[in-house]
Amino acid sequence: MAQVNDQEHFSTPPAPEELKPMNMAATLAICSGGWLVPGLAHVLIGRWVRGLIFATCVLLMFAFGLAMHGKLYDLEFDEPLHVFAFIANIGTGIPYWIAERLNLGIGTMTFPSYDYGTTYLWVCGLLNYLIVLDAFDIAQGRKP
Amino acid sequence: MILSHFIALLLFALIVSTVFALITKNEPREQFRYGVFVFLSFLAVAFAVGWIMYPVPL
Repeated sequence: MAQVNDQEHFSTPPAPEELKPMNMAATLAICSGGWLVPGLAHVLIGRWVRGLIFATCVLLMFAFGLAMHGKLYDLEFDEPLHVFAFIANIGTGIPYWIAERLNLGIGTMTFPSYDYGTTYLWVCGLLNYLIVLDAFDIAQGRKP
Repeated sequence: MILSHFIALLLFALIVSTVFALITKNEPREQFRYGVFVFLSFLAVAFAVGWIMYPVPL
């Protein structure tokens, strides 16, 4: 009995899960996919649940931003500060271009929720950049 | 779609805190606790800033 207790007390903690990094080309391909389709990178890595939650969050925020008459920015060199808004917007990937093609992100400045909608559209793109970086870390074995 | 400022804030905080929690923490329990913390922090800061701005004539 004493031996059993000793074994319980002095047993070594379980070894941390070994993290195997993917090669850089595969990692970049996965991250590109994750940028174009939110959540896809995590799904490709095998983190289904996390990927689906990320996809839901980003796409829901994007849809709400459009529904609130937010503005999607194009690349305009006449207005240099709009470049930052454009960079934030393209973080959403393919949904951005689909919405642009459908003329959904025109933005109605007089609409009460215009500012909120525009902010939603920026933030969902920026969140997707963070999500892609998270997928990069996982693929490189820096994170479980 | 017209949402009230508060509902828009709630929705924003909910989505952002979910993503932050999943990105920064690994264990489900930690993720939940951190997500709740970030969500409540968003609300607390919004209320605090709102009350601070209340007497300011803008």
